[in-house]
Amino acid sequence: MTPTSSDVDTRQPTPDATAPAPEPTPLTGDLLICLTPLPPEDLEATLKNLAGAFPEQQTAGNGNSNILVAIPDAAPASSPDSVLSTAAPDSSPLRLLHYSSSSTALFLTAADYLNAFKMAQEHNARACILLGPESQTLNPGFVRDLAAALLGSSAADLILPHYRLGPNNGLVNSAILYPVTRALYRQCPRFPQAIDVGLSLRMAERLAMAAQPFTAAGQNDAILWPVAEAASANWPVAEIDAGPRGLPQPASTDLNALLSETAGSFFSDIEARASIWQRVRFYQPGCATPETPFSTGTLPDVSPMLEAFRVAYTNLQEIWSLVLPPQTLLGLKHLSLMPPAGFRMNDELWTRIVYDFILAYRLRTINRGHLLGALTPLYLAWVASHILLTGAGAAPEQHIEDLAATFERDKAYLVSRWRWPDRFNP
Amino acid sequence: MKRAASTSDPLWFKDAIIYELHVRSFQDSNADGIGDFPGLLSRLDYLRDLGVTCLWLLPFFPSPLRDDGYDIANYVDVNPSYGTLNDFKLFLDAAHQRGMQVLIELVVNHTSDQHPWFQAARRAPSGSTERDFYVWSPDNQRYKEARIIFSDTEKSNWTWDEVAGAYYWHRFFSHQPDLNYDNPAVMEEVLKAMRFWLDLGVDALRMDAIPYIYEREGTNCENLPETHVAIKRFRAAIDEGYSNRIILAEANQWPTDVRPYFGDGDECHMAFHFPLMPRIYMALRQEDRMPIIDIMAQTPTIPDGCQWALFLRNHDELTLEMVSSDERDYMYYSYSADPRMRVNVGIRRRLAPLLDNNRGRIELLNSLLFSFPGTPILYYGDEIGMGDNIYLGDRNGVRTPMQWTSDRNAGFSRAVPARLYAPVIMDPIWGYQAINVEAQLSDQSSLLHWTCNMIALRKLFHVFGRGTLEFLSPANRKVLAYIRHYDAPDGHSETVLCCANLSRFAQPVELDLAHLAGRVPVEMLGYVPFPPITDKPYPLSLAPYSFFWLELQPGPEAPRPSALPQQNEATEIIMRPLKPSNEVAENPPST
Repeated sequence: MTPTSSDVDTRQPTPDATAPAPEPTPLTGDLLICLTPLPPEDLEATLKNLAGAFPEQQTAGNGNSNILVAIPDAAPASSPDSVLSTAAPDSSPLRLLHYSSSSTALFLTAADYLNAFKMAQEHNARACILLGPESQTLNPGFVRDLAAALLGSSAADLILPHYRLGPNNGLVNSAILYPVTRALYRQCPRFPQAIDVGLSLRMAERLAMAAQPFTAAGQNDAILWPVAEAASANWPVAEIDAGPRGLPQPASTDLNALLSETAGSFFSDIEARASIWQRVRFYQPGCATPETPFSTGTLPDVSPMLEAFRVAYTNLQEIWSLVLPPQTLLGLKHLSLMPPAGFRMNDELWTRIVYDFILAYRLRTINRGHLLGALTPLYLAWVASHILLTGAGAAPEQHIEDLAATFERDKAYLVSRWRWPDRFNP
Repeated sequence: MKRAASTSDPLWFKDAIIYELHVRSFQDSNADGIGDFPGLLSRLDYLRDLGVTCLWLLPFFPSPLRDDGYDIANYVDVNPSYGTLNDFKLFLDAAHQRGMQVLIELVVNHTSDQHPWFQAARRAPSGSTERDFYVWSPDNQRYKEARIIFSDTEKSNWTWDEVAGAYYWHRFFSHQPDLNYDNPAVMEEVLKAMRFWLDLGVDALRMDAIPYIYEREGTNCENLPETHVAIKRFRAAIDEGYSNRIILAEANQWPTDVRPYFGDGDECHMAFHFPLMPRIYMALRQEDRMPIIDIMAQTPTIPDGCQWALFLRNHDELTLEMVSSDERDYMYYSYSADPRMRVNVGIRRRLAPLLDNNRGRIELLNSLLFSFPGTPILYYGDEIGMGDNIYLGDRNGVRTPMQWTSDRNAGFSRAVPARLYAPVIMDPIWGYQAINVEAQLSDQSSLLHWTCNMIALRKLFHVFGRGTLEFLSPANRKVLAYIRHYDAPDGHSETVLCCANLSRFAQPVELDLAHLAGRVPVEMLGYVPFPPITDKPYPLSLAPYSFFWLELQPGPEAPRPSALPQQNEATEIIMRPLKPSNEVAENPPST
């Protein structure tokens, strides 16, 4: 941490040169905003956006600033300080912190949450905002609204953004993370594994405690699940409109690896919290979802996805038959015979597939790596079906909402099979 | 004068409990590794104690055994591996002495290609009587609409015979040429064979593959009108010469197509209800009664003197011919994850492995078998929950040696184990060390004891074999509920409410029994009375895979008004001993 000039109290006598240098007074503030490692130009853009989001001076009574911006030490020498001073000199309420991070993950990681809480605690912040990769694409107004919501009198402990993405973006979230989280925890955030989050201090502490076992084992990039944590603590969760956002692109295009990593972490978390979500029985009324205008553009080519599914249907029958019940296998058979133009995976079929894979993950029916690999072609089939459905005129968000409602309705199936895993079922 | 039967009841088959077994698999008496009639005779007391009343023997005739005896080389003798004709007679008499009837096979559709008839036919000149014992053709283009039944092994219903210089017709294996019933000599020979066994005292004949005995161009060569003419001849011959003998038709067809095999009571006495069997398994797996209800709704009524034969498993594969393609796929997914478990159009597994060795499921399905309208048939070994061996070829995996003890060869044979006709089941779950008669006889909680008790209970009532069937329609489709009712000739009646939970979870159900208001359900296993039926829905709670058999007894009569003055509760009734008349009272009344 590098103290800034404003932290040095000139009223104090000059310290004795032979005595050890006193510890710099830590910065304090109401809000801590943590940024993940960004390329220089993106960092510069982000800081300008933040400066624009918080232009007014809002000093606390002791003269310290109230918004701390933590940037990774990996920030280049073309100093962000100079950016801030240019965009908003002393009048800006933003003050910079540096911390160590070399994360390149797409999501916020265990190390991110742990670092955020440590800094928040150290600097007496009341709340944290973590902004993930590509944060320069965020609407500054969203960050301001997020901050206001966190610091407001009736703040939720966890606030998640509702991004306005294209109809074919974030489909892992649409197909699996959102509907399952909604069904299991009765929580409606559209993006439960958001790239950006707002946390109360106690929420940040809870996530830091959840992160510690991972970081202690060297798994700094482990994925945490904030919604599940908040639900476990029975703390309120809220969601605010974030507008459009650029999504970070993975370094590798290996969908299998990406899906395995995400789904594996998600399913493990579900297994760990079985006693929580199985007691959540009643569902909220349908969550209000603003209709998101989108540009359809050209439909992606689904042929490779359909081909991947059909090849898998031939080659993965043995694995699927260990995981999926007869009725589902029959549904997949019908699917494999559908012509491309009419390819539709109904919501009930996908719901059962996801629930049975969650169960198989828990039961270790087969090696977990193989299991998650066997999920990928089924996911591609769902994606192809979703694309074709929306291409035919169906509203994408409505389809996702219908899907989520199906997951809710069928939760009893997961609970009953979880409690009685006998595979002699329909 | 008709030859008498071993039973005097012409409808004995309606109350029968049939036990299907293979002589070869049951008990070996001479240590050659093959079961035989003396061995079977030695086990008759076990069968009597089990409670079965009729033994169905798979083919035991001389045969090259390329189809486990269904390829017959001589209709009127016994395969030497199983003993002699005299051994059979001794067995038959012993069975009759124990009150059991005997049902044997009459494989009417085809013979082995080693049968002297075929050997003569292939050498006989075309058009001769001998030649025409079978169906020949210069090419293989006739009867193209006929399906191939053994689709795994046969690619055509025609096979070229080099000696004959022609193709011969076969609906089953190529070594089983079909007999030609258009040749009157064939019928005469088959009648001779039939009479041979009936003369010995056999009680019943199972007509194997009866739908296929005629072929006609432009048809599927199944269930042709000529078939019924032939059956009527068989029946007439039996009725003329014998009393209380029956014919059981093996017609794997839709119920409406099986109905004609009963005729007007002048054809077969019994027929298997093939389509019901896979639907029982479907209903169980789907936890939905509808597959059963649906097929029973399609089942026509049959003449009073006739009976359906019901079964859960038999020596063949669990046939899936009489289901839709989706249903077939569902059954494959549900019950045969390993493709090795499938053969032809079916699944070659025994009852217990099909049900994952779940005792509740096994008991549930047996409860349906014993309470549905028809005569139940038990497959040997299923009473102890025997397993199977899917690594044996064809259907042999369900025809392994009977498991009597945990000793060598499961007590089936004293032969060197390698000499057995088939290896005994020896895996940790279903192996003979774990599953055997001796162990289960000494375990009161065993499946064997349960089966004995259920058979005994069923035999106390005529309603199961002779009564009507009325399905109830509770809202909960996981519950199958039905009423059996029988009005006996002597005036008494029996009414039983059967209720089965097809689900692996407990289920509530409310039954509309208003038309039986006033009756008192009495649970038949424990003789426990349940609350009387009223005009309100009758609630029941069913544990996973549980079932109730509730005899609906008349309610208690209301007490008649008494002629004596009513006594209030405070009145003591003092009983004084009566004094002898010659005793002098201590205080005689004064005069």
